[in-house]
Amino acid sequence: MPELILACGILLLVVVALFLRGKKTNLHALLTLAILTASIAYTFFSWAFYHTPVTLFGNMIHSDQFSCYFRILVDVATALTVLMAMRNKSLSEKFNSEFYTFLLGAVLGSHLLMMSTNLVMVFISLELLSISSYILAGYSFTKKGAEGSLKYFLFGSAASAIMLYGFSILFGITGTLEFTAGDFVNNLSANQSALVIVAAIMAFAGFLYKIAAAPMHIWAPDVYEGSPMPVIAFLSVVPKLAGIVVLAKMTTTFATTTVSFDWQLVMAVIAMLSIGIGNLSALWQNNAKRMMAYSSIAQSGFLLIGVVCLTSQSMQAFLFYSALYLAANYAVFISLQAFEKNSIDSIASFSGTGRSFLFLSVVLLGGLISLTGIPPTGGFTSKLFMFASLWASYEQTGKTVLLWLLIFGLLNTVVSLFYYLKIPYYAFLKSPNASLSPENTRFENFLAFILVVGILFLFIRPDFLMGWLNTINFVL
Amino acid sequence: MQNLLTYLIFTPVIAALLGLFISAEAKKIFRLLTFVVSAIQLLIILLIVGNITPQSGSFQLMEKYNWFSIDLGNWGILKAEYLLGLDGLGFSMVVLSVLVMLIAGISSWTIDKNVKGYFILLWILNGAIIGTFCALDFLLFYLFFEFMLLPMYFLIGIWGGPKREYASIKFLLYTLLGSILILIVLIALVISVQAPESGDTVVHTFSLLHMSDPANFIIGSILNPDDAWVIGSQTARWWAFLLLFIGFAIKLPAVPLHTWLPDAHVEAPTPISVILAALLLKVGAYGLLRIAYPIFPDAAMELSSVVAFVGVLSIIYAALNALAAKDLKRLIAYSSVSHMGFVLLGLASLTVEGISGAVYQMFSHGLISAMLFLIAGVLYDRTHDRLINNYSGLASKMPVFFVFVLIAFFASLGLPGFSGFIAELMVLLGALASGSTNELISEGFAFAAAFGLILGAAYYLWTLQRMFFGPFHVKNGIRTELLTDLDRREFGMLISLALVILIFGIFPQVLLDYINPFAKNFSDTLTESIRLIQNP
Repeated sequence: MPELILACGILLLVVVALFLRGKKTNLHALLTLAILTASIAYTFFSWAFYHTPVTLFGNMIHSDQFSCYFRILVDVATALTVLMAMRNKSLSEKFNSEFYTFLLGAVLGSHLLMMSTNLVMVFISLELLSISSYILAGYSFTKKGAEGSLKYFLFGSAASAIMLYGFSILFGITGTLEFTAGDFVNNLSANQSALVIVAAIMAFAGFLYKIAAAPMHIWAPDVYEGSPMPVIAFLSVVPKLAGIVVLAKMTTTFATTTVSFDWQLVMAVIAMLSIGIGNLSALWQNNAKRMMAYSSIAQSGFLLIGVVCLTSQSMQAFLFYSALYLAANYAVFISLQAFEKNSIDSIASFSGTGRSFLFLSVVLLGGLISLTGIPPTGGFTSKLFMFASLWASYEQTGKTVLLWLLIFGLLNTVVSLFYYLKIPYYAFLKSPNASLSPENTRFENFLAFILVVGILFLFIRPDFLMGWLNTINFVL
Repeated sequence: MQNLLTYLIFTPVIAALLGLFISAEAKKIFRLLTFVVSAIQLLIILLIVGNITPQSGSFQLMEKYNWFSIDLGNWGILKAEYLLGLDGLGFSMVVLSVLVMLIAGISSWTIDKNVKGYFILLWILNGAIIGTFCALDFLLFYLFFEFMLLPMYFLIGIWGGPKREYASIKFLLYTLLGSILILIVLIALVISVQAPESGDTVVHTFSLLHMSDPANFIIGSILNPDDAWVIGSQTARWWAFLLLFIGFAIKLPAVPLHTWLPDAHVEAPTPISVILAALLLKVGAYGLLRIAYPIFPDAAMELSSVVAFVGVLSIIYAALNALAAKDLKRLIAYSSVSHMGFVLLGLASLTVEGISGAVYQMFSHGLISAMLFLIAGVLYDRTHDRLINNYSGLASKMPVFFVFVLIAFFASLGLPGFSGFIAELMVLLGALASGSTNELISEGFAFAAAFGLILGAAYYLWTLQRMFFGPFHVKNGIRTELLTDLDRREFGMLISLALVILIFGIFPQVLLDYINPFAKNFSDTLTESIRLIQNP
């Protein structure tokens, strides 16, 4: 199992760090990359094996192709984070080995979270993911970073506590911790009361916090602003995907119970709130990191559409969207880090970078367009699939809220274009303030370029990924 | 000849790729290359003319390749095709695009700032525009449609006038809003339509040809004409048509969605204004003709009074604005809106004359507006001042220029002998005929539109009087020695446009041979579909 590789890898990193204390070295990063590669390779080659889901540890964990796919995504994202961290001065100087240890810890947590079918397992893996990311968020060792990290920690603990409380009530009602089990569903259906709804909403609060969906999103901008760029990139993708995957699993359970409560409505409202709040707040930001924080809130809303519909088709669209979101987000953050190195961080300071950093600016534009969802990027295709599944779902159920979500979501694309284009606007349309002395960004150029090529490729041939996703069995 | 249309679309795209590897210093090479691109495209147009039969109202030179087909499990297969083809409408638009792109390319020789970026964007735009006019697959159409957005944004935003940043972002947001509305319908259509070849598994297709056939709608789907869903107080098909109409009306632009256009025109550099007025506006009208009307003929018929009203409103309101405009370019921009109103009116009538007139108007307005914006550019290049009141008696100072101004103004106000006259006459005839044949729109609209023609004459003649007649003097510190007459390049561009406008005014049959079969086929198919939908 790739999780064993990761767990052993964490221990290995700790041991290696003992011998290399105080030395400046890239060994930790390279070791982490090797561990991640091993994990990806293992998952990839055991792909066929998981066609029929495997249950482990007394129904604690449920390993199937669905989670395998997301495990690969998470590992790829982490590998990209490591590559970014290697090029980040502040990260390669202080507590270098610990950084990678925590990173792998978070990855292990998200792996387990995406596979767990047991409430306790969910809680433990979520905490593993959370505690690691609280520390990662403070890795810039500045006042702002400390503030962000502490905020993240305090809000996060409160959210976890609420979630745990919700879990305990659910356990009390159903008498079982396995939320995919038949007992859980039956007992929920049998015990209809307002308490079920309260408990479920409490339980969901923890996940919504992790994925920074409204109304649990307030931490995101501060944390993003204070954290180093690789950590932001990591936070914007890994916990988000992990949280939505487990949310999808839990919602499936609630949707199959005969609860007199419309889960689709709840999730649709959350999605709309996230999209709306994220986009409208992003409009007013003048710091690139904060803007991307709000963008990630809005993107959570779009990802949640997959959970709203809960059809096999929408899950497929969700899988596709996740991959594109990962690629576009990393392309953006990698270029932003390269700009940050040249002390360009506020949006206004991007003035004229289209001239001094033409290649990087074009690549950044590619990533941002994909996040907006305009052709010719895969971001467009992914939005197309997502909203097509939403239309189809509306056609099946006839619920008007789905239609509203569709119209609201698509119209928000126009709003989002306005802020996504802010940086390119300054980069290409404004003249430079001061003469810049470009630092070497060749590595970032290359990395982001590869991602953007991938994004373009998935626009032209979406069947490449979709064909593969279609083989995934969506029994949750 | 195989794949002529692909060559036509991808010639400029290949030039753009080549351009990436040419040194930014080699301005001459870029200017030459844009000429080569246009020459090749003209050659391909000649080949197309040789390979196309005008009498047939259906699509010719079809190219069909699989783009992607995705198996989506129980939902069926999603299939997109690389599907190109031309009919009379597409043909006339493609010819117009190539002509205008040639003129715009020559006009771009004066661009001196960041030449490399400019021409690369221009070529991408060229390919996207022609692609839009050739695509018969909705997704492909949408791809080309959106592909025009960003190049245009940067072309206005980087090479434009003083308020270019505001104008470019306004253009972008308006247009994107329009395309999102179109996207909503696109998604709904894909879900509702199956390809006729689908057997046990449903094949969802993006093909416009399949979407235009009411028989291909899946039973029980949202947009199925037989039992369309009711959303609010109207059927889903009614809403879908409305969304498409708004989406394309923004691009057209029709009052009250036109406000981005004057800003964009005033700030855009001359060649970009030419492309914007001559081609991009046509994409809006083209979308209505190719997508909104054939797919939702029933809703179109129901809403034809609205369409006609918006058209007449555009004609009158924009003409009044033009009358009040102080800036020459703004005046021409409003006159564009006014003339595009005729396209809407012709469409709304759904008669053969009306449709023919609308398409002819698209073609002729493309040429005339190109000429008008070149004229505004000539003046702006010399003095960097376009305010009408700052000039007087230019006729004596720039006699050759004045002759072309006369031709362009008279062509635009619809003097017989120029192409605009034929087009507007046909539209008015169609609108009048509609009252007695299919009873879709009342004669009142035609009379109101005719009043718009009078307004058109008023603002053009008044401008002539203010700027060109009377004793020569200029205000606002314009140096008189700057006001030299046309140079050879400008003369060449203007004379060729003037000739083409005259030719199509005196021998409209040259183009009508292509447009009329299309219009007849279009009108017949629509009437037939409406009949099928109403009495299945």
